[in-house]
Amino acid sequence: MDAHGGVDLRVEISGISLQNPVLACSGTFGNGREMSAWMDIRRLGGVMTKAVTLDPCAGNPPPRVWETPSGMLNAIGLENKGLERFLEEDLPWLHDMGVPVWVNVAGFTAAEYVEVAREVSRAKIASALELNISCPNVKKGGLHFSADESEAERLVSAVKGAVDIPVYVKLSPRTGDLRGFAGAMVRAGADGISLINTMPAMAVDVETARPRLGNLTGGLSGPAIHPVAVQMVWEVAQEVDVPIIGMGGIWGWRDAVEMLMVGADAVAVGTLNFTDPTATLGVVEGIAAFMRRKGYRRVGELVDLARRGRSGAAG
Amino acid sequence: MPARYLVAVVGRRDYGCASELVCEVPDDFRPHPGQFVHVACGGDGRILRRPFSVFDRGEGTASILVREAGEGSSWLKRRGPGDRLDILGPLGRGFDLCAEGGRLLVAGGAGIAPLRFLAKRLLEEGETCLVAWGMGEAAEYGVLPDVLKKEADVRLACLDGSGGHAGSAVDLAMQLDRESAGQVYACGPREMLLSLAARMEEVDREGLARLQVSVEERMACGVGVCRGCAVPVAEPPGAYRAACSDGPVFRGDELDWMRMAALT
Repeated sequence: MDAHGGVDLRVEISGISLQNPVLACSGTFGNGREMSAWMDIRRLGGVMTKAVTLDPCAGNPPPRVWETPSGMLNAIGLENKGLERFLEEDLPWLHDMGVPVWVNVAGFTAAEYVEVAREVSRAKIASALELNISCPNVKKGGLHFSADESEAERLVSAVKGAVDIPVYVKLSPRTGDLRGFAGAMVRAGADGISLINTMPAMAVDVETARPRLGNLTGGLSGPAIHPVAVQMVWEVAQEVDVPIIGMGGIWGWRDAVEMLMVGADAVAVGTLNFTDPTATLGVVEGIAAFMRRKGYRRVGELVDLARRGRSGAAG
Repeated sequence: MPARYLVAVVGRRDYGCASELVCEVPDDFRPHPGQFVHVACGGDGRILRRPFSVFDRGEGTASILVREAGEGSSWLKRRGPGDRLDILGPLGRGFDLCAEGGRLLVAGGAGIAPLRFLAKRLLEEGETCLVAWGMGEAAEYGVLPDVLKKEADVRLACLDGSGGHAGSAVDLAMQLDRESAGQVYACGPREMLLSLAARMEEVDREGLARLQVSVEERMACGVGVCRGCAVPVAEPPGAYRAACSDGPVFRGDELDWMRMAALT
C-alpha cells in the first residue's frame, strides 16, 4: 500500500485478494502475453481472459471492428484456441505472473459451458470464472442465455455444481429486467456479477448499403456506453449483495471512481486497452491520486458512495 | 522493441492526394520494412488509432504517407511542423528480405508506402529491385513518382493511360516478372492483391510462395489482443490470423485467397 502514498488500494472480493480494484476486461487484453510487452501486468488487480470455448473457434468473417462516435463496434465471434491449448499455454503463464485470473467461459451449449468451467476449475490455478452469457456476436449460446432467465439460472447452477472456484456472471445491457435477472443469478449460485458486456449495435455503409461488420451486427463498447454501464451497476448494486465488477467504457480513473461510487467493488478497463496498452496502470495511479487528494484511505470507502449520499472526505 | 512515442512532426510534403508526415524519432525506433505505426488521430470521438506503414526512416526521422480515407486520416493529413503525434510502434511482421533471384515490388496507390521503405533498404544493402506502381492517373500523387524514380527503378502504370504503362500495376508487374522471376512484394487494395495472387498462381505452381503481401485491414488494438483485423489463412482451414501481429506481411501461400475474395 505504501507504493501509493499511504492509500490502501487493496480489495478482497469472493475471497480473492486484489492489490488494487482495476482489472482488464475480457476480450481486450488477450491472455496477457501480448500486453506484457507493454506493461508489467503483475501490477494489475486482475486479468479477465479472452473467452475460452471447448473447441477452437475461428471467429467471425471480417470486417470485425468499426469505429463509431466515442465507441467501437466489434463482432469478433469468440475467436480463441480452445480449452486444451488455453490450459496448456495461457493459464499457466498467467498464473506464473501472480495476478488473479478470471477465466471468461463461453459456449455454444450449456454442456460446453459446464465442461470448460469444470476443467478450468480442476486446473487449480484460476482465481474465478466469468460466465459469458452476454456475447452478442455468436448465434448460439452467448446472449441467448441473457434472454431467458430460467435457462441462465439452470446454467449457473450447473456450472456451480461442477466447480470449486467463485463464479461471476457477466450481464448484458440487453436484459429486460436487469435487477430481477441479477438477483436470479445470485439465487442460482453466482458468487459475483460483472457488467456490462457490449450493447448489441449496428452500422451501415450507406454508399454500398452494406453493414460495416462481416457479422452484420456487433457490440458497442467504449465511452459511448459508459453512462449506460454506470446506471446499470447502480441498479444491480441495489439488488444484490455479492461483489460487482463494473465495466463499460471506462476511459480513465474518473470513470473508474464513478463506477465504484455507484456500487462496483472493482472495475475492469476494456476498450481503452486498444487505444493505450498501458492504460490500466494509469487508472490505478489515478485512483490512488484521487484518494490521496480527497483523504480516502481504503477503496471500500468509495464503494456505493453515490447512494450513501456523501461527497466529502471520509470521516 | 515497440513502444509508445510522442513524436514531433518536423516536416510535411504534399504529394497530390497524399501527404508525407516526417517525424522526429529516437534512435531506438528501428522499424523493419513492412512494419507499421499505430497513430492516434485526434479527439472528436475518434477513439481508435489508425495504422500506417513506415514510409521512410532517415537520420533521426521517420515518416508515413497519409491519404485521406475518412475522418481520422483527414485529421492526420492536416498535421504539420509544430504538431505532435502519439504513436505505437514499430508494430507487426515486416517483409522477409532474404530472397533468391530478382525482386519486384508491386504497389497500388498509397500501397507504395511500405514498398518505398523496402526499396530503400534493399538498395542500401546493395540489392537491386524493380518497382511497379499503379495509380488512377499520373498526377494523382503529385511529384512523388519523380522523387522515387531518383531513388530506384520505378515504373508507373496508370489506369487512364496518362503516364507509364496504360493499365494496372498487376499487368505491368506480370510483364516485368518474366525478367526477374524472383521474390514479389506487394501492397495495395485487396482487389489488386487478389488479381496479383491469381496471376502468379497461373504462372507457376510455386508462384504464391514467392509472393509477400502487406494487407490493409481495419484494426483496433494493433498489438494482437482484440483479434479485430482478421485475415483468412490457408492453415488450418477456416482460420484467421491477425493482420497487426501475425502480419501485416504474409507470404502468398499462407493466405486463403478464396476467402479473401469473398470479403470484397
